[in-house]
Parts: sequence; C-alpha cells; structure tokens
Amino acid sequence: MKTTTKLATALLAATLLHPAAGFAQTVGPNGESATPSSDIVLSDEDIAALSGQGYKAALLWHTSSDFINAVSAGANDEFARAGVDVVVTTDAGFDAAKQRSDIETALSAGPNVILSLPLDPVTSAAAFREAVETDVELVFLSNLPADYVHGTDYAAIVTDDLFQMGKQAADVLAEAIGGEGEVGYIFHDASYYVTNQRDQAFKTTIETDYPDISIVAEQGISDPARAEELASAMLLQNPELDGIYVTWAEPADGVLAALRGAGNTETKVVTLDLSEPVALDMVRGGNVAGIVADEAYELGRAMAAVGLKALLDQETPAFVVAPALTVTADNVAEGWQQSLRRDAPASVLAAQ
Amino acid sequence: MTQPVLALNNIRKSFGGVVAIEDFSLTIEPGEIVALVGDNGAGKSTLIKIISGVHAPSSGNIVIEGESISMSSATKAREHGIEVVYQDLALADQQSVYMNLFLGREVTRGPFGQLDRKTMIAETQRLVDELDVRIPSPHATIRDLSGGQRQGIAIARATRWAKKLILLDEPTAALGVAETAKVEKIVAGLKARNIGVLIISHSLDQVFRLSDRICVLRRGKQIGIRKTADTDKNEIVSMITGLSAA
Amino acid sequence: MTAPQSAAPTTPSLLARLSGANLQQYVVYVGFLAIFLFFAVVLRDSGFLTQRNLINIILQTAPVTIMAIGLVFALSAGEIDLSIGSTVAVSALGGAMAMAAFPQAALLAGIGAGLGMGLLVGLVNGALVAYLRLPSFLVTLATMGLFAGVARSLTQLRSIPVTDPVFTGLFGSGNLFGIPSLVIWTIAAVAIGHFIFRQTKYGAHVLATGDNARAAMVTGIKVPRVRLSVFLISGAMAGLAGLLYSGRLQAAKYTLGETDLMTVIAAVIVGGTLLNGGKGSIIGALVGSLMMGMLNNGLILMGLSVSDQMIVRGLIILIAVAVSLRETSR
Repeated sequence: MKTTTKLATALLAATLLHPAAGFAQTVGPNGESATPSSDIVLSDEDIAALSGQGYKAALLWHTSSDFINAVSAGANDEFARAGVDVVVTTDAGFDAAKQRSDIETALSAGPNVILSLPLDPVTSAAAFREAVETDVELVFLSNLPADYVHGTDYAAIVTDDLFQMGKQAADVLAEAIGGEGEVGYIFHDASYYVTNQRDQAFKTTIETDYPDISIVAEQGISDPARAEELASAMLLQNPELDGIYVTWAEPADGVLAALRGAGNTETKVVTLDLSEPVALDMVRGGNVAGIVADEAYELGRAMAAVGLKALLDQETPAFVVAPALTVTADNVAEGWQQSLRRDAPASVLAAQ
Repeated sequence: MTQPVLALNNIRKSFGGVVAIEDFSLTIEPGEIVALVGDNGAGKSTLIKIISGVHAPSSGNIVIEGESISMSSATKAREHGIEVVYQDLALADQQSVYMNLFLGREVTRGPFGQLDRKTMIAETQRLVDELDVRIPSPHATIRDLSGGQRQGIAIARATRWAKKLILLDEPTAALGVAETAKVEKIVAGLKARNIGVLIISHSLDQVFRLSDRICVLRRGKQIGIRKTADTDKNEIVSMITGLSAA
Repeated sequence: MTAPQSAAPTTPSLLARLSGANLQQYVVYVGFLAIFLFFAVVLRDSGFLTQRNLINIILQTAPVTIMAIGLVFALSAGEIDLSIGSTVAVSALGGAMAMAAFPQAALLAGIGAGLGMGLLVGLVNGALVAYLRLPSFLVTLATMGLFAGVARSLTQLRSIPVTDPVFTGLFGSGNLFGIPSLVIWTIAAVAIGHFIFRQTKYGAHVLATGDNARAAMVTGIKVPRVRLSVFLISGAMAGLAGLLYSGRLQAAKYTLGETDLMTVIAAVIVGGTLLNGGKGSIIGALVGSLMMGMLNNGLILMGLSVSDQMIVRGLIILIAVAVSLRETSR
C-alpha cells in the first residue's frame, strides 16, 4: 500500500509537472487539437473592457451535481472578476425538452454569454439554434450539437482532458496491483461522450501499456443504482479479481458495497470524480486505490474566460481542455482544493 | 279490468343445489303497492334480482302486461319498464341532481350529440315539483343533499323512467323519522301515476301505512299474500316467524 | 369558463354557487393570476412580460397540456395513467423511426406510428384495467417501466433526428397565419377535449363511471368500455405530446416525457380534477399547466439557484394542491 501511494504520488507529480504530455491524446468532437485551459486567461485590458458594460451571463446545466457546482463556482468567480452578472442558472434534469425550454427562457433575460452542456448532439442541435441566431456567445461543456461550426455558431468547447483521466485511472490501478493481474472493467453503457472517452482511455492504456494486466470481465452500466448487483455478479464469476475500474463515483459506491458484502478487502478499486463515500473508503485504507478527478473549478473558469474573450471579438480556440488529477489517500486535501476549490469533506479529513 | 303490470308465475331459483326461491307467484296491478316482507335470508333480495333481471329464474315465467318475457340483464329489465331503487341508491355523488336523473340516458341534441342540459334541467324541476322532493335546485350536487333528499331523487329517477313497475329496496332504512315520513309521502304519491310498486321493508308500521297487499316470504317459501286492509300485524309477524300468534 | 348551465332559469345566485362545491374550481385561476402578477411586478425588467417570453411559456407547456387533457379523462373516470411519460418516449421514437424508414411518406408514417404507439399503450393499459379488473395504479406503474425499457431498447439509447420539414413545421416549429403550431395544437386540443368532456354524453359517462361505477353500471352505462376508452384517450394524447416534442426538438430521444408525469399530475390536480374520480376540468388543466410553465419560467428569470427554484416551485404546488383539495373534501 505504501509503495503504491508513493508511486502514485510520484506519477501525479509527474503529470502536474508536465501537463502538456497527455494533451495530444484528447481531441475534440471534430478532431480539433486541444488547447490547455491555462492558456485562456483574461488580461487586465480584457477585464477593463468588460467591466461596467452591463454584460449578462447564463449557466444552462444538464443536471445538478457536485461537479456542476464546482464548474459554476469557477464560472461565477471569473464572471464576477469581469463585472458580468450571472442572471440565469438552470438544470434540465437530463431532459432534452426541458433544456430547450431553459434556453428559450434564458434568452428572455438577454444574456451575452451562455455556458451550457448540450445533452446530446442530435436533440441539442435544434434546441440551441435560437440562441445561435442571436448574437449571444455560446460556450459548450464537453458536448457539441451536431453540425455546429466553430466561430460562427459557438465560441468554444471546454472539456476535461478525458483521455488523461482514463489513462491516469489505468496507471493508478496498475500501480496498486503491482503491474500485473486480472481486472474488471465497469463502463458507462450509453452514448455519452465524456464517459465513453474516459472509459475507452482506461481500456486502451491497460491494453497497450500494461501487458501483464488483462481485463477479464467487462460490464456495462446505465443505471448507477444497479451497480451493486452487477458488481456482485462480476465478483461471483471472478473471485480472484485484483482490481476493478468503475466508470464514475456513483456506481463505485455500489461496487464498494458489493465488495464489503463479499468480505473482500483485496480487490482494488479505481474510479473517476471525487465523492465523499469513495474518498472515505480510500483514506481508511479500504478497497479504493485512487480517484481520478478533473479540475472542475478550472473548467468553469476557462468556460467563462473563453466566452468573454469571444464577446470581445478575440480569436478563441475551438477546443479547450482542463487537466486531470490523480487523488490518493496522501493528497486528498490538496486534491479536493485543486479540483473543486473547497475543503475536502470533514469526514474524509478526519479519517486521514 | 286492466292487465297486471307484473305477473310472476311459479318462480323457482336455485344456486347449485341450494334452493333460494321455491314456487313463488305474485301479480301486481297498476297503481298498486305491494310489500314484500320476511326475515333476513328469506329470499327477498334474490327475488328483487330476478325481477330486475340480474338473475334468471331456474323455472317459472315472468309476464309483463300480458307478455311473457325472459330477462337476461338489468338493461333488459329497464327496457321492459322496470326500475329499481337500490338500497345504496346508485347515485353519482359529485354530479348534479339533473345529471343523476338522466344518468346513462342523457338527452342530447345537435349533430355532435351535445347534452341538452336545458331540457334535462327543466324536466328535473318539473318532476321534483310533482313528487314534492324538496331540493335547492336541479344543479345541486348530490353529496350536498340530505339522506331523505337523496332517496327522493332516487325515487324520482325511477319514476321518470319506470313505465310499469318500481322496485323499492328498503327505501327508508337509513333515514330519520321526519325524512321517512317525507319519503313515504312520495311513495304513496306514486299510486296516482298508475304504475306498480313492489316495496321491501323491515318496518311493519311502514308496510301497513303504504301497501295495498303484503306478501310474506320465509326461507325461500311463499307463505302467503294478504290484503293489508284484511290483516293485522300479529298475523304478518306469525307468518314471518313461523310461530303462531298466541 | 363557468359551466354553461348558467343559462338555465333555476340558476342559483353567483354567491350561492361560489360558496358551494364549485369553489375549488376557481383556485387555479386565482393562483394563476396571483403568480402572473407577482412575476409581472418582480420581473418587469427581466424580460418576463415580453411577448416572446409569454409565447414561449405556451410553447413549452404544449406537450404537458396535451398530456394533462388525457389525464383529466383518466382521473375523472376513476383511473390513473402513470405510463404517459414512457408513452411520450415510445411514440416520439416510433414516429421518428417510421419517418426514417418511409422517407417518401414521412409525414403519414410519423403521425401514424406516433399516435399508433400511444393507442397501443392505451389499449394494453385499458384492457388490463377494464376487462381483467386490475387496479390502474399498478397496471400503469408496471407499463410505465415496461415502455421506458422499450423506449431505451428501440434505439439502444441513441437519439434519432427528425428532418422532415413538414412534420417539424406541423408539430413543432411552424406557424399558421403567424400563430405558432404548438399554440394551435394547444387551443385545438383544449377546445375539443373540453367539448367532449363537458358537452357530450360520453363525457357524462366518464364522470359517472369515476364517481360511482356501480351507479353507472345499473343505469346502463357500459363501464368497462368507458374505462378502456379513457386509457385510449390518455395514450393517444401522450402519443401526440411525443410528436410535438420530436417536432420541437427535431429529434426523438428515450428521455422525452420521462420527467413530465409529476408536472402533468400537478397541473391536473391544481386545475380542479379529483384524484379519485367523478370531477374534472379540461380548462382547469390548461391553466394548471400554464401555471407550472410560468412558475418554471419566472423562477429561472428571477435568477434563483437551481435548488431554490425547486424548493419554491414545490412549495407553491403544495399550497395550490392543498387549497384545491381542502375545498373538495370540506
């Protein structure tokens, strides 16, 4: 365990020191190359040009979550810095029709910049059309409506470095099981760009970088509530699993429950996105070996910044990525700060 | 001499091996009120169900105004001009008085079959006035009415549609003294309309106040029929119980 | 909006009627007006009162209004249809797939398949409830899940684009004499629904069935047939809502309608329809639905956070439902 975390920390440090190393691997929906989010910075002149103009922004999210809260916080802070009012915040609850209504409603408030996650390329193409036809600047998170053109239809897409997230998950799991063994792979069984990219990156990394590790069980999941039963079945069929990759934190709760139910303390688990129960298991020395997080706050900041740059008629990159971050028991407190810009949950800090 | 509105000849009904009614015969003349009395389980309900078409008799025949008929359903009985006022009244509580009066037989007009509310309301008003059922308005909702008013509406509905016969099942069982008197007045008023009335009641006082003849059932057997004017309570009680009066 | 019997000679005074059983019918109108005035004042500078925004509210609520009409029939007959959300999805997907399969007759194929799916769900629900006498709550709870699964498996969770311009114009984004098609659908459905519900024998039979099924039966109303029919209406209305959604989004997706059930139920109940039958109002459902849409819209424009929007919306619905139900069971 100790060597594992040390190695993982070393790995994390390496990633942070060379953030550009992995960017080549994450490409935009239309093959665009990635611009690191750290390149998107509002200059003092930008701030001066934006302040006092009465500009307004709208945040039209697809759901409510810890992640979205952090993205919103990053965006709100950046907008505030530029003197821009956030006048509307919505949650479409993964409902394409609600998202369309939210867009129409938000337009009534006359925003200059809209930050949004389009639910899926097909349904959102018509939904955002009305916004495209006004002169509001659109910045998309992760997904792009079908056939939208950069520069004329939207300002930029900002996303996590999805490939890095999947790759780092593979790396931290590989370290935890000593570079060899059998692992299970629980992936998101839906057409959803973000999770699909991350899952695929994990799989590719294991297959190409770790010849001594084999994926012996694969299980798709669409409803996180069913994670426990799916994981139980996987463990029943493969009792000797050394590790399990879980596509995101919510189903990971179910996987941990299945492991506890089976009295299994050996199988290592790695998942994506910070979550209190998963982190708690990790700091208590449970099954969780590591969590790969994105920098959600930075993501929101970059979305706001790139939207405001477009508003100032500056050239904007089509595709911007925010870095990935491996969190282990040793850097939980720092990881939480870096990812979500707030303290890790008290329970997690106390258990350290 | 007019024909009886209803003649039951040698009606017998058995369920499986159990005989519920054996050899029952009764005629009811227009404008006549006949009471059917008997203890619980004597077969009154079965008889009502046979007359209203819910059950078919095992043997025997039913003659309505001289025409022998076979009834297979309650709908058929209604077609033959027989209406039943059930103990639970069968009123739709949230609907208005006039909609209840025309329940299932609404008056419509126009190419799209619109409800002719005007006609239904006017006819309701006329009917409740005639029968002296005192309600605030034909628009009143049933659940806002008293028990007596509801009973009055149920009887008014039966009166509106009955051409030959009304069956009244315990019409005052749930009512207070004043309301009972009111309902009895309405029932007595039916004689003038020249239809037959068959009333089931537990109250012998009521039976003696209302009926022209009394028919007694005991354990499925027809014990006898008496003219109300020619009998007294003691006789009827002993017929019901099977114990001879002292 | 008051019942047409007011023309009758024996109509009691307005005051007597207001103090009578009909009061809860007016709760939704008062509530609607109060909320409208509140937003009109608070959001006077935030775009709420713009014509564009007010039309948007009608457009956004059109599918919910259409579903609410179907649910008024079902609830009035003493039944409930929980499967309407799933029906929306299978209808939208069925329509979109049929259009893709028969591009030369896309419009007909889309409408036929969409409404056909709705009627099919209605037939399954209705037959089980009317003829096997299973409780509609349980039947439609089961079919809700069943058809949600069908919607997911139809396209393996993929969204299907709807490109036929006549279809999207007719059902979503088009205009007739400058009036958006969704507004026309809303008006037509409410007008026809209201007429059938209030003015025909059939509507009276639906109410009687929900009020007292035994009374309806002994007065010759074909109760099983009425029960089946309300599920067919509910299914067809949900199917139409599915077509409207797919026309508006120019795509069909398995999530369409999924979250609408609670909004539809709230709209219908606030609009003066009883949960256990015998009383309903199509106009009330329309106003209830617009009220839900207006609440969403206004709370968003107030700039509330998402969680605050949900809390306030929930509280207002709670108050509205409490007032209308209290009046009913007084």
